[in-house]
Amino acid sequence: MAQITIDGETYEVGDGLTILEALDQLGVLMNEVELPHYCWHPKLSVDGSCRLCQVEIEGVPKLQIACNTPVRDGMVIHTKSERVEQARRGVMELLLLNHPLDCPICDQAGECKLQDYAFDYGVKHARTDLPRRPAKKGFELGPTIVFDQERCILCRRCVRFCREVSQTGELGVFQRGERSLLETFPGAELDNPYSMNVADICPVGALTTKDFRFKVRVWFLDDVPSICNQCGRGCNINASRSNNRVYRFVPRRNDAVNQTWICDHGRMSYKGLTEGRCTEARVGSRRVNYDEAVSTAGDRLRSAIDAKRPIVVVASPFASNEDLFVLQRLIGDLGCEPGTFAIERGDSDALLIRADKCPNAEGARALGFLESDAAVGEAAIALVLGRVAPERLVNVETQVQLVSHEADISVSADVVLPVRSHAEYLGSFTNFERRAQRFSPFLEPCFEAWSFGDALTEIARAAKVLGWEQPFDVIRVSRELAQAVPAFAGLDLESLPAEGAPLR
Amino acid sequence: MKPETRKKIDELFRHYPERRGALLPAIYLVQEEFGYVGPEAARELAEIFEIAPVAVWEVLTFYNMFYTEPQGRHHVYVCTNLPCSLRGARPLIRCLEERLGVHAGETTADGRITLGHEECLGSCGTAPVMRVDGVYHENLDLERALAIVDQLD
Ligand code: SF4
Ligand code: SF4
Ligand code: FES
Ligand code: FES
Repeated sequence: MAQITIDGETYEVGDGLTILEALDQLGVLMNEVELPHYCWHPKLSVDGSCRLCQVEIEGVPKLQIACNTPVRDGMVIHTKSERVEQARRGVMELLLLNHPLDCPICDQAGECKLQDYAFDYGVKHARTDLPRRPAKKGFELGPTIVFDQERCILCRRCVRFCREVSQTGELGVFQRGERSLLETFPGAELDNPYSMNVADICPVGALTTKDFRFKVRVWFLDDVPSICNQCGRGCNINASRSNNRVYRFVPRRNDAVNQTWICDHGRMSYKGLTEGRCTEARVGSRRVNYDEAVSTAGDRLRSAIDAKRPIVVVASPFASNEDLFVLQRLIGDLGCEPGTFAIERGDSDALLIRADKCPNAEGARALGFLESDAAVGEAAIALVLGRVAPERLVNVETQVQLVSHEADISVSADVVLPVRSHAEYLGSFTNFERRAQRFSPFLEPCFEAWSFGDALTEIARAAKVLGWEQPFDVIRVSRELAQAVPAFAGLDLESLPAEGAPLR
Repeated sequence: MKPETRKKIDELFRHYPERRGALLPAIYLVQEEFGYVGPEAARELAEIFEIAPVAVWEVLTFYNMFYTEPQGRHHVYVCTNLPCSLRGARPLIRCLEERLGVHAGETTADGRITLGHEECLGSCGTAPVMRVDGVYHENLDLERALAIVDQLD
């Protein structure tokens, strides 16, 4: 361990770290210690090219860059001295020499570090009237990214991302000195499954996603922490929303899960939250209101119970831990066979993308559901969560299906109950590494509907199943889950930290 | 690229602890063959060196002496750094531009001559200097410069 002093505060930090790394690990970087930097990024190699992170170190004659200077025991660092601020002013003047300063038409405005530091350290007037470096404006680098070359400050974060993280190496800085320009290889495109992350890490408005460009000013957005539900990784995201509409998903840093990245597929999955939703309850081919669908499902369930005929459930790996706990309890109370769930599989890679295309397969397993895509046994009634292959239900008389999307409705469903998407309720998923992670609602339900847990509870209440008198309350259920299932001990929704926690 | 060029590149690898170190001389070899190193040749080099094509392109565009586009049969480069400029390099290059009908950095339509600026040639004592196909011409005046350029075929 090394003891370092920054602006009079003393910190214990690990040996061998650079000053910026140490601050990042302490969690004080840009919070308690506001140390401006452009090219350094916690998940990329050191570049040392922007020179903005210069600090004064006692006993060292010249200013040093914090991103590439290792800490030393007893080091005394100043980040606010006049020398440091003067250096920052110099760096900002240099960077702004070639910058178009077109903030009024730039999407980054409001979350732009160049804009922020230009306010703090910029000079009002350029000391030269030489023309700016010729560069292109607003052209497509590939299918997802638009590039404003004249805004680029050549920090090379995007270059390093493509080489070190996506390992596709599409970007490079060509030419030399003041003529340097970021580009792709002639005729090639920036096109990889993680391409849009470059827009997040670009500190200025040079790289923007085609999808988000010009949609909304970022100061109208507020971010709600959530979890991507498109594969077993469960990347941490923020959903940026305004007026009950989601405009984008951006990665939320979680070093144990997704670092600071998400895949393009997951990022674009926000579109599916509102498109193609199932908005009407049905009995047979008749559209009915919600109450009628619930009481029909309840009646059918009651008759099966009274006739002592078999009841089956088909769980969904898209349902939350709390939903599945409710379902598991219902299975116990009804005395039916263990519930099953099926997983759809697809491509995977070594970075983030998992083959299991669902967010909660591990949660389903931990709660005692069995993975199977075989047909369920003969039954009077099946309670089905989410999408199901019709062959699985050939032996079932009445199918009650709870779905969020039209496309998931089974042709043979007898009662259809629309439910919320995970954007519209509170719960937790368990990712492939058995890490429980909380997601919060960021959209108003687009119609009258309940979560899986809620709808199941209502059906059980309508069927007058003993012990199911109380309505669903996700917080109470999550506490009961934490008490009843040892793997979830201490992991109720209120105790779960923002970065999630491994199952016991 | 020709098998001989390829063979020479393989031979180069033996002289460097890391393959990548041989990139500069390899680019020279390819440029010798084609007169320039375009995207296709750069891709081929990237494959041989097992690096991303952009990495080759970064090196190629960094150095003045590599060309990414076809050049003229003759290369005429005029030094325009400070000492040469003080001794008349700017009017000289303007005069050559006029005679050849191209801007510095361009090639005549008949593919005869590529005209360009050059950074200091290390011969400031005999400024202004121009380099024609690798040969220095020193202490130039307009007349001599034009005469030299005119007799290039
Ligand atoms: S495009 Fe953005 S991230 Fe890439 S080098 Fe330029 S400023 Fe940096
Ligand atoms: S890797 Fe998986 S969890 Fe992460 S963003 Fe992509 S689909 Fe979503
Ligand atoms: S952050 Fe240290 S030089 Fe850019
Ligand atoms: S400045 Fe022209 S040779 Fe040195």
